[in-house]
Amino acid sequence: MKYAITDKCVGCYACQLVCPSQAVYADPDVNGRFHIHSRRCTGCEDHYDAPQCASICPIEEAIVNEMNLPVNPQGSLTGIISPGAAL
Amino acid sequence: MERQSMPSTTQHAATRPADQVRHLLPKDIQQQIATHPCYSKQAHQYARMHLPVAPACNIQCHYCNRKYDCSNESRPGVVSRLMDSDGALKQFRSIKRRAPNLTVVGIAGPGDALANSQATFATLKKIRMEDPQAQLCISTNGLMLEHYASELAAAGVHHLTVTINCIDPAIGEQIYPWVYYDHKRLRGRAAAERLIQNQLAGLEAAAAAGMLVKVNTVLIPGINDHHIEQVSQEVRRRGALMHNIMPLISAAEHGTFFGIRGQRGPSASELEAARAISSQYMPQMTHCQQCRADAVGTLGGGCGQSEEPVVEHSYKVAVAGNGEALIQTHFGHAKRFEIYRFDKQQQQFIYLETRQVAQYCSGTHACPDDDSDKQLIIDAVADCQTVLCARMGIAPWRALEKLGVTPNVDFAFQPITEALASIAARIATPLTPGGNHEVCHY
Ligand code: SF4
Ligand code: SF4
Ligand code: SF4
Repeated sequence: MKYAITDKCVGCYACQLVCPSQAVYADPDVNGRFHIHSRRCTGCEDHYDAPQCASICPIEEAIVNEMNLPVNPQGSLTGIISPGAAL
Repeated sequence: MERQSMPSTTQHAATRPADQVRHLLPKDIQQQIATHPCYSKQAHQYARMHLPVAPACNIQCHYCNRKYDCSNESRPGVVSRLMDSDGALKQFRSIKRRAPNLTVVGIAGPGDALANSQATFATLKKIRMEDPQAQLCISTNGLMLEHYASELAAAGVHHLTVTINCIDPAIGEQIYPWVYYDHKRLRGRAAAERLIQNQLAGLEAAAAAGMLVKVNTVLIPGINDHHIEQVSQEVRRRGALMHNIMPLISAAEHGTFFGIRGQRGPSASELEAARAISSQYMPQMTHCQQCRADAVGTLGGGCGQSEEPVVEHSYKVAVAGNGEALIQTHFGHAKRFEIYRFDKQQQQFIYLETRQVAQYCSGTHACPDDDSDKQLIIDAVADCQTVLCARMGIAPWRALEKLGVTPNVDFAFQPITEALASIAARIATPLTPGGNHEVCHY
């Protein structure tokens, strides 16, 4: 499984610091946005049980899997579920 | 933007524990903290600077919204400009040149210093090479403290702050929803257990390594307010030197879990009561306010937001610029302002702090459009008497005058020092001395 970063990302660098494959890079054009290099990302399968980027990312819906589903859906990290959110 | 203000009560409480600090601390430690404005109330003529080199965090606190800076160390809702260690060194040099009283250099975020260990250690080393006298300090949530304690001591870190809100995992799980440790995201009780265990072991290791450790505790009514005595006893036993009990900040618009749930912060008397309990075991640090990860300045004007409920009697000048020695920046293009305050004793301006215009972006403004940009620039200098810049448009000119701020372009392309000297000569009327505007930081 490969992962990608969405525009929810706040650019906190955490995923970049923990990625074992140096697959995370800062967007050269958009300040505070990060991306995952799809060819470099191994899904961490060879290293860890869980994708490291998604295990430390503090922002819900910032990291998605190949099916474009958020690894950390709304409410899963902060406990905050906004009333208007379609879940 | 809301900010803690419990002016009178805390000020009262402050006198008592400050005396205790003197009684309780051995002489050599008194000397070590004598020039650190956050540890010693007597040190307020010294300036300190926080370098925002640590963006990532490895835990989540329910009083924090990670879209903003760490609210352990920073006023929530204010995003700092990030720096790398080279940028930090450059910033240090340029401030040090103008503020020889800069004694303390800290790393406190905007995330956790030790979750960004590479950037943190690289910065510490560069600052220490540049100025072996600088006192280095670190703030951390403590998750990685045991791991790095000896490395920190070896890097010359003297002062360390660790935020410990509770020592009971049953309480901890109501404060920390998750912790990233050993390549896993832990949740619930397991997360709190891990964090608390590491914090206490880290505190002990840091104290054993010779660092002066202060513990911060965020007072959260109904969650850890009945637990302060246990925390205080335990951290004291592990070697903490001081306790700083801080009120929870939980305005709903900060978007934190506590804010949205309507968790209230403590009243002034609740805070005072908690500090009184803790003061049986440890000196209290009460002359302190949460401040941003990139704060620069002295105690009197340190955090320096224009909405600060501080009565300033002093004359302040804001200089638009980007660190140049000449006044050459157009007001509307200013990214930052250097603030100088007139010192009555010396009859001259002394450097107080640097304000990033972006910091005045407080979430309540709809940020990125042009109009609010201009408003942000104006907000950044609203408490100053004079603004020096190379040029200024007529609209901001009028807006500033309305606020009682006098724009001045007479010194365009002249050295800042000369402009300040000439204004100082003009205003050399004695002002009310002293004024108790103590607003501190870590
Ligand atoms: S899944 Fe693993 S390899 Fe891929 S980007 Fe995330 S941390 Fe890096
Ligand atoms: S951890 Fe999440 S929010 Fe932080 S940079 Fe990575 S994707 Fe963005
Ligand atoms: S340690 Fe600081 S940055 Fe990390 S979650 Fe807590 S308050 Fe936020």
